[in-house]
Amino acid sequence: MVNRRTFSIVKRELKVKLFSRTFIIMTLLIPIFMLGIMGLQTFLFQYSDGENAFLIVASESQNVLDNIQTELSKMPKNKDGNVEFMFEKLDKQKIETRLNNIRADILEEKITGLIFISDQALKNKQVEYFSKNPNNNILLNKIKPPINKVLTDMYFVGKQLSREELEFAKDDVDFNGFRISADKEIKEEGIGNTILSFLFTFLLYMSLLFTGQMTMSAVIEEKSNKIVEVLLSSVSSRELMTGKIIGTAITALVQMAIWLSPLIILISTTWFVLPPEFTLKLSIWHLLFFMLNYFIALITFLGLFATVGSIFDNPQDAQSGIWPIMMLIIIPFFIAIGMQTNPENQIARIASFVPFASLIIMPARITLVDIPLLQLVLSIIINIAVMILIFILAGKIYRVGILITGKKPKWSEVVKWFKYNY
Amino acid sequence: MYALEVKNLSKNFNGIKAVDDASFIVPEGSVFGLIGRNGAGKTTTIRMMMNIYVPDSGEVILRGTKIGQEFKDKVGYLPEERGLYKKMKVMDTLLFLAELKGKTGKEVERKALNYLKRFDLAERKNSKIEDLSKGNQQKIQFIAAILHDPEFLIFDEPFAGLDPINTDLLKDIILEKKEEGKVIIFSTHLMDFAEKLSDHIAMIDHGKIILQGSLSEIKSEFAQRNVTLEAVGDLSFLDSEAFVEKVENFGNTVAIKVKEASQTQDLLKLLIQNDVKVNKFAANEISLHEIFVTLAGKDSNNGK
Repeated sequence: MVNRRTFSIVKRELKVKLFSRTFIIMTLLIPIFMLGIMGLQTFLFQYSDGENAFLIVASESQNVLDNIQTELSKMPKNKDGNVEFMFEKLDKQKIETRLNNIRADILEEKITGLIFISDQALKNKQVEYFSKNPNNNILLNKIKPPINKVLTDMYFVGKQLSREELEFAKDDVDFNGFRISADKEIKEEGIGNTILSFLFTFLLYMSLLFTGQMTMSAVIEEKSNKIVEVLLSSVSSRELMTGKIIGTAITALVQMAIWLSPLIILISTTWFVLPPEFTLKLSIWHLLFFMLNYFIALITFLGLFATVGSIFDNPQDAQSGIWPIMMLIIIPFFIAIGMQTNPENQIARIASFVPFASLIIMPARITLVDIPLLQLVLSIIINIAVMILIFILAGKIYRVGILITGKKPKWSEVVKWFKYNY
Repeated sequence: MYALEVKNLSKNFNGIKAVDDASFIVPEGSVFGLIGRNGAGKTTTIRMMMNIYVPDSGEVILRGTKIGQEFKDKVGYLPEERGLYKKMKVMDTLLFLAELKGKTGKEVERKALNYLKRFDLAERKNSKIEDLSKGNQQKIQFIAAILHDPEFLIFDEPFAGLDPINTDLLKDIILEKKEEGKVIIFSTHLMDFAEKLSDHIAMIDHGKIILQGSLSEIKSEFAQRNVTLEAVGDLSFLDSEAFVEKVENFGNTVAIKVKEASQTQDLLKLLIQNDVKVNKFAANEISLHEIFVTLAGKDSNNGK
């Protein structure tokens, strides 16, 4: 399959792809893009955090108001957004009248909202909040703890409890994760591996889509450029396809190795020390599995993308053919991302052995939990079998497709190509 | 021995017979024209000869053995639909295409440069293909087809879309390669080119080979051996002439059929020698175009 002619094609692909400006730009751009998306998320989160708010805290009892005022004044002053308070004594029956008074101000957002703490709240902690946007969890999460503290304190006053007992009652439960794995040592689990699994999933997703699209447009270009028949006078269609895919796969592997090189340095040297909560449980075998899996994924998906490219002779038409393949990448991507909350959920377990999905989900799973070696080998065997099958089928369509120009073929016609004796 | 032998090639596309039991022979050292109108099956035949399509049945024999992948290395191929990588540089393109044929190294580079010089493109060797004019891109395609010094040149509709300068250039290449003893096979629907360049032809219509052989033999076979004569004088001496096949007197005109087309001149000489006053003497050598129309036209009249 790989011979002198294939090698020449591979060489040209590497020359065009690996030693090009585009390669350098994309290698830099994808991590920047990734960080950008993560950063944007954090920014949006913090941006709303930074909004100024003006709240009216109303209660039936002056005592509650005084306590809350003291507690709220202890709140840290954010420079990117302050919550200001006004305190007033209000009877339960008068809430409606009061709200009518300030309705216009609330709608114009001069007043963010009114918190009403009834006397009942001292027994059941039910507080009412009136606002244009009553579901602003960021704001509520900020003011909940002080109010909770006041209500708890007041509830226990005179109940003969020590300060420590009170503190204990107010404390939330804190879960410290320990990972049980085959090696007997029990380690405290940080969020390092969760971040890593997100990183692996995201890198796989992005680079498969990018290289796939690139391969597809390269095939379309060869077809519309009409160079393909010149090439076929020297090489067979299978040699051409194999060469293109191997060349692109090598380029993508090099790119991935560059992206992962910080990780390799991190786990193989002691140059950098991560804070304990970010500690990674990662070995070089883990990275090798990731690369092997990536290579199989590349050959599988590039075969599919090249096939779609060969069927159509312009990128617009190709968009209709590319959707099914994108789904094969996007759906596992979401399963893998969703799995981060519970890596052992049933869907993730099954999907990590399903053809195509396995290629994206298994690397994320192995980062989060220990997978028995047998299961890993099984997934690799499944994936290699699918890869070979796809490669054979893709070749059959490719050899017919690249020589057909003009009318956009129907799917029923494409199915017939399998049987063609080209 | 023949250079190439095409034996009973057939190819179907979705039940439509593109090529139907086509057989022909390409002799050593010949310029071979595959002639037919658009859609007759020329490109499909050539693609099967190039091993780009697998025939449904039949085979192509190269000097006694069936062709395979190694045949491609011996061929310089210029497809009808031809293009180059737009972003690739001229010299890189030429070297890449030669490498696919198994030729690498300084020698190829030197040769490529010589060709570029000859075609006035030497100073463009580091230009990108897309920066070249269409005519110059075509020149690069010619060079790519002959750079690896192939034994066979297979050109599919080579003159389609060429300007007069490149047409002449390509003709020169064909003649030069003929001098070197290479086998040149080209397809065309342009009868004049076929007539001027080729010494052997095969005519294809509706996927079938309807005529093949040496051009001169075909022409003499199809040349109109009939002469229409309007003359005053005694014509009885014609009956005893060996080269005259038949004489038919229609009163005002006499139809004479000679044994071979070239003998019409002898006939004219003889008439004058015998003091016949010739008023009208009509004899034509037939053109390939007429042969084609006669054969293909007849074909379609048969309800094919």
